Amino acid sequence: MAGKFVSMRNLKFLMYEVFDLVALTKAPYYSQHNQKGFDMVLDASMKLAQKMLYPLFEEMDRKAPYLEDGQVKVHPQVRAIMKEFGQGGWIGASFPEAWDGQQLPGLLHCACQLIKSSANYSAGVYPGLTSGAARLINLFASDELKATYLPNMMDGKWQGTMALTEPQAGSSLGDLATTAFPTDQGYYLLKGQKVFISAGDHDGVDNVVHMLIGRIDGAPQGVRGISLFLVPKKRPDGKGKLISNDVTVSQVFHKMGYRGAPITELSFGDKDDCRGFLVGEAGRGLMHMFQMMNEARIGVGLGAAAIASAAYYAALDYCQTRPQGRKMGAKDMNTPQVPIIEHADVRRMLLFQRAVVEGSEGLLMQCSRYEDMLNIAPKEEHARYELLLDLLTPMAKSYPSEMGILATSQAIQCLGGYGYCEDFPVEQHFRDSRIHPIHEGTTGIQGMDLLGRKVMMKDGQAFILFLEEARKDVAAARAVAGVAPLAEQLEAALKTLEEVTAQLAGLIGKKGVEIFLADATLYLEMFGTIAIAWQWLLQATAARKALDNGPKPADMNFYQGKMITARYFFAYELPKIKGLVQRLTDGDPLTVEMESSYFSD
Amino acid sequence: MEILVLLKQVPATESLIAIANDRVSIKPDGLKYVMNPYDELAVEEALRIRESQGGTVTILSVGPAKAAEAIRTGLAMGADKGILIDPGNLTCDGLATAKLLAAAIKPMTYDIIIAGHRAVDDDNFQVATALAELLGIPNISMVVKQTLADGKIRCLCTVEGGTKEVEATLPALIATQRGLNDPRYASLPGIMKAKKKPLETRSIADLGLDAAGLQPLVTIKALKMPVERKGGRVIEGDSVAVKVAALVKALHEEAKVI
Repeated sequence: MAGKFVSMRNLKFLMYEVFDLVALTKAPYYSQHNQKGFDMVLDASMKLAQKMLYPLFEEMDRKAPYLEDGQVKVHPQVRAIMKEFGQGGWIGASFPEAWDGQQLPGLLHCACQLIKSSANYSAGVYPGLTSGAARLINLFASDELKATYLPNMMDGKWQGTMALTEPQAGSSLGDLATTAFPTDQGYYLLKGQKVFISAGDHDGVDNVVHMLIGRIDGAPQGVRGISLFLVPKKRPDGKGKLISNDVTVSQVFHKMGYRGAPITELSFGDKDDCRGFLVGEAGRGLMHMFQMMNEARIGVGLGAAAIASAAYYAALDYCQTRPQGRKMGAKDMNTPQVPIIEHADVRRMLLFQRAVVEGSEGLLMQCSRYEDMLNIAPKEEHARYELLLDLLTPMAKSYPSEMGILATSQAIQCLGGYGYCEDFPVEQHFRDSRIHPIHEGTTGIQGMDLLGRKVMMKDGQAFILFLEEARKDVAAARAVAGVAPLAEQLEAALKTLEEVTAQLAGLIGKKGVEIFLADATLYLEMFGTIAIAWQWLLQATAARKALDNGPKPADMNFYQGKMITARYFFAYELPKIKGLVQRLTDGDPLTVEMESSYFSD
Repeated sequence: MEILVLLKQVPATESLIAIANDRVSIKPDGLKYVMNPYDELAVEEALRIRESQGGTVTILSVGPAKAAEAIRTGLAMGADKGILIDPGNLTCDGLATAKLLAAAIKPMTYDIIIAGHRAVDDDNFQVATALAELLGIPNISMVVKQTLADGKIRCLCTVEGGTKEVEATLPALIATQRGLNDPRYASLPGIMKAKKKPLETRSIADLGLDAAGLQPLVTIKALKMPVERKGGRVIEGDSVAVKVAALVKALHEEAKVI
């Protein structure tokens, strides 16, 4: 029997009881679905996760990808996984039917992704990236490119990637140097280097399709000169064969974690024979790419939450079975030892993990709910959901990523010395989680994105909408006995958030942008904590209502545990914003004053 | 090739089972139900036969309305239609279940019936064999490989420590054993299609039977949980020699194994 890595009960609670997934089926776009069908999809995800992905979790880490004769070799089961995800319809699960997808609601898709990523994060990355690349092709590519590349990608036979980062241009994409030289043959000749390209090459597929950003020769500097290209590893020769497209793997990185998937360095056009095809408009490459980036960023948060979930359940299992010590006050050494879950400090560590995992899952599903609204709401309401999604994306990416590291670290702590050893999975979860604050935009970039762009854009409209949404839920929670005190706490935090934001905004004019953004990461941490508190308030409200309605006996423990975990978040986590608020408002720009030369010794 | 598959919905093997207050049934509350794993092999084998020979795959199940979920899972794997026989309040033993299935199957056209050799909930092993008897067709159990040719089925079956090869004329019933195949996963398009596939429910009366003729010959008198394992015992002693002596004594006198 597979160990537990995710709670199906909790996912169903979020989908059905907090976010009312079934209500979506009233809209024509989702009317082909019903709850029975959703449950079948969840069961199918779980089966795939338990039988195919989870058994490879450790093996894919221990047998990491390697480069041999110019080809990256991965675990032999990657081919089977890609095939199953292709034929099973998972690569196009959330795509509209018009794209040959399954048109699943985002909420359900989010739950499926959480299930699969918690079983084996690395394994889910291969089809996930292919899905993202296929989305870009569907949105922006010509019909000819679609016909040439999409069918094999949707079938899981060809891998898709995002090729953005270069050795000298990571967070600063405006500095990228990969160049596309126009020809009169309908394609460009590409030349340049890309690094840290996930699944950039491997032998689990027959071809790799890179969605690459580069600069058309002579295009202006900065982001306005960036265009998006489709660059295959092998290109069709027009006679039914695939031939080399002059894309070389120069290395596969040896990473701390997330070792089941290869991260590669690629060289394009060493022999001046690398053909790329323009996708979308020239000069709008980064804009197009960001269509995929927002989704990818939320996907990173999802991966982080999923890994923390798996670590939590491994730790929980250990704490329930490991006898050590006796209850406080029990002095008789002849009494048997108690499982360590009986100790308050161990329960605190478990509550912390559960609070992070389920709070993050809530925020991710909240984003999915807004994505679903974009598919069903009248056009005039789209701006509202787009703004909310834009605002929440940096938090949905960063909170699970940063807190996931602390949560998986606490999972190790629960296991003590055993947790530090390879015999148990938690050390791998810890290593696997460390990538998340880095890839798809570091936490520092997310902080600046939130404070410098998302909160300020359109005269703070997104920020105002967020407050509206949260206060609507505060009002509803005030009416529920037992949850009202949490609602008051959130209201106080929202008020603080408004004050801090107003004070920071005032700095732009007075002290300049550098000081304004100097502690943007801390602002992100504060806002993220408040956003998760909002999610915990929603979950507590739903759980309290379920308890008041007399739940099934088998659900009693779930709801009681939910209530206490919500209270834990408001008692232990939300108060942590106080230190951040103090720092953000004390007006001392010390990181700006600290000259680089002072770091001399 | 008309293929019938017999299927039962059972509690998932990872479920924590508790005995109900009546002491002859289990508490259904909080249990997760799935398709009996041996029946998954049966569905898979039926689909493979259909893929190579053409025809249709029909799933039959005896159970409450909830059992339709397991049939839908089979439809999502690719089966064509389902029939749920709901016995209402009647508690069926293996023979009664076989009688219900026989009544449903007799008017149908079929070449092969595939069943799991047992259900993992009650480990009764009887339904498939009893059904073959009632239908008057050959029954081959514990099948790990089958080939169809010239109106006959040739099967490799597990026997203690080895395999045997047997042959029967169609129509026949075969019962699956682990190793027969690797069941496919339900696909998303399969799940979407499954919702629209025909699934009819029949009562005892619909089958022209009455409850009087289906009363169980075997009744469960009590269910008991396995005895919990007792903790181990550490042999104390000042030296290895003393401990070994105490261990040998315990093995000889208490455990009586040496």
